[in-house]
Amino acid sequence: MKRRKIASVGVLAAVVAAAASLAGATTAASDANTLTVWLQVDAQTGWADVVAAANRQFESSHPGWNVDVQYQTWGDHLGKFDATLAAGNVPDVIELGNTEMTKYMAAGAFADLTSAKSSFPNSGNWLAGLAASGSFNGKLYGVPYYAGSRVVTYRSDLYKRAGIAKLPTSLAAFIADAKKLAAKSGKRGFSPVYVAGTDWYIAMGFVYDRGGAIARFKNGKWVGALASKQAIAGLTAYKAFFNAASRASRTGDEARPQPYDVYAQGMAASIVGPAWFSCCVGAKYKAATKQFVMPSYIKGKAMPGFLGGSDLAVPGRTNAKQQAIDWIKALTSSTSQRALQAKGNIPNATSLLGNSVNERAAQRSWFIPTAKHWVDVENGNILRTMLARILTGKATIQQAASWASDNISFTLNRP
Amino acid sequence: MASSAVGIAPGSRRRRRRLTWSRVARGSTPYLLIAPVVVVTGAILGYPIYKLVTLSLQRYGLEELIQRKGTWIGLDNFSSVLQDPIFWHTLGRTAVFTIANVGLTMVIGTLLALLLVRVSRFVRILLTAGLVLVWSMPAVVAVQVWYWMTNFHNGVLNHLLTQARVGDFFQHDWYGSPLSQLSMATTLIVWAGIPFVVISVYAGLAQVPGELLEAAAIDGARPWRTFADVTFPILKPVLLILTSLSIIWDFSVFTQPFLLIGRSHIEAANYLMGIYLYTEAYANSDFGRGAAISLLMVLTVAGMSVFYVRQMLRIGDVR
Repeated sequence: MKRRKIASVGVLAAVVAAAASLAGATTAASDANTLTVWLQVDAQTGWADVVAAANRQFESSHPGWNVDVQYQTWGDHLGKFDATLAAGNVPDVIELGNTEMTKYMAAGAFADLTSAKSSFPNSGNWLAGLAASGSFNGKLYGVPYYAGSRVVTYRSDLYKRAGIAKLPTSLAAFIADAKKLAAKSGKRGFSPVYVAGTDWYIAMGFVYDRGGAIARFKNGKWVGALASKQAIAGLTAYKAFFNAASRASRTGDEARPQPYDVYAQGMAASIVGPAWFSCCVGAKYKAATKQFVMPSYIKGKAMPGFLGGSDLAVPGRTNAKQQAIDWIKALTSSTSQRALQAKGNIPNATSLLGNSVNERAAQRSWFIPTAKHWVDVENGNILRTMLARILTGKATIQQAASWASDNISFTLNRP
Repeated sequence: MASSAVGIAPGSRRRRRRLTWSRVARGSTPYLLIAPVVVVTGAILGYPIYKLVTLSLQRYGLEELIQRKGTWIGLDNFSSVLQDPIFWHTLGRTAVFTIANVGLTMVIGTLLALLLVRVSRFVRILLTAGLVLVWSMPAVVAVQVWYWMTNFHNGVLNHLLTQARVGDFFQHDWYGSPLSQLSMATTLIVWAGIPFVVISVYAGLAQVPGELLEAAAIDGARPWRTFADVTFPILKPVLLILTSLSIIWDFSVFTQPFLLIGRSHIEAANYLMGIYLYTEAYANSDFGRGAAISLLMVLTVAGMSVFYVRQMLRIGDVR
């Protein structure tokens, strides 16, 4: 009897505790005077001061409101966002990578900001590529936050020692320079230009350089385009470039290891990637590190680079839409954007563009197909698998490209 | 009740009823004692399974998640999964993967347990401590260490193999194909699964009477013969339970292969069931389809558990 009592007391305690935690959750959600903002950790490590300034500006013009910025990581922020969509406690503002926008816009996750468009700072001059990632069916759902392009980060000391007097202005010249760098180094496993084998952000630049594309939208349907003549030419050029310049794993990716780590270990004369790669090249090589624009196969032109970037969106279920819009205005004001630019980012408007290597590289850029199911292509790693097959020689370029193209057509047209 | 009623004189009805009541109370005590467990299990297991079943009968993607309302589509999710060649390939691959992992874990684990009986006390303590350390290593940490040791650029494994003149392993790619990716995952899973088997089998070996082994030796049985005819029959119940449990664990394994192969290299050609489910449900936001896949997985694992439970009951009977 006594035992039973103890057991039932235990159950009761558990029930009470569960009820209490539920009650706690409801109170937190109904606190109407807090604007919850989800930004990526990049802001926390790179420009927390810019965010703090925007918060101060917002809070001074909205008495009684305070901003709660919650920093998220790229790996799991969408999973967490999905969970809040299911539970109903969505943030009021969320930063999404430009490649992540389409799926959520198509599903109706965000508030329509079209009527407020003209009130956003510099909205008439937003970077075309970035603005495109934030609109769907002619409506605005995402405000361009900032962009980043891909450049070549290199060690000027090694280039000089290899007798490279002038930076390459064409792909052919770059390959020739890579061979000089390799010959001069003689170190086993040393990459003149380190590129991870399956780094599709770089490889697709070669495809777009030749006028190819990943997929095209024709007659209301997406059609994979990697088996086209232009795309094949681009993939062929990528393979030749990789073989001449990179000693990276043919099946590896650009996260394991990070290219800048290879560079910092003295195993690469140059790396291709986001301009902020210069952050982490190691103290030893910091002074000798410089950047230039990745050259096209056409002399004097830049190779189209993937235009990465972020948008700020307002989840449809927020009950502070106007405040969310006002906060976004504060973070995308000319002052904030110039501060972001000073940290090495590309500001969101052409009127603010400078002449840095990063900004010059952004002049020719490409973007992923804005299809609802594009993320499925990324999650299925179709492009990476194709590149690994091409580089390892497990399939011919034509075979691998046709396989990927068919797969992409199928995936993008899923209901 | 009937047997006790026989001894009681007729006419004492009141007494009999009172007796019945107390008997009912006494008889229900076990049920009352187990009730909290049943209630809690029902709440934490029953409700999610109920939700899972309803979810699997709906079209429930990102759009429906935002509306918080799915569309009933009957068994469409199941038929689409069952018609998906990727599902069948994944199921076959997972079956082979499970057999390989469980087989290696059991064989190596049993051999180590047999070794443990023979070695000196000091070595036994050393070995046991090592096994416990392996056991206590979180999977995520183990993956990091494993990847660090086997990485392409400066992995210590490549270095050692080259130094030992096994061949030129300079920048050897251990993750170059689906087979090699899954083999690397297998080494990690088997490594982490062995301690449990060793310690359980070692405990089982303590039940093998020394006289029997001695008698077998006197009869001139060779070690293998002794193992097959004396030790193995006594160990059989333990081995069966361990095998069944390992099958259940390895069939739905996710953490090790997902993290070791890496998100950037997960593709249809190296899917295991757990990863296939994750990709369809969470990465591609098709929760209804994901629910259908996980129910099919639950059914498969439940089928295997029947075997496990039957063994448990049979062993209980013997006692």
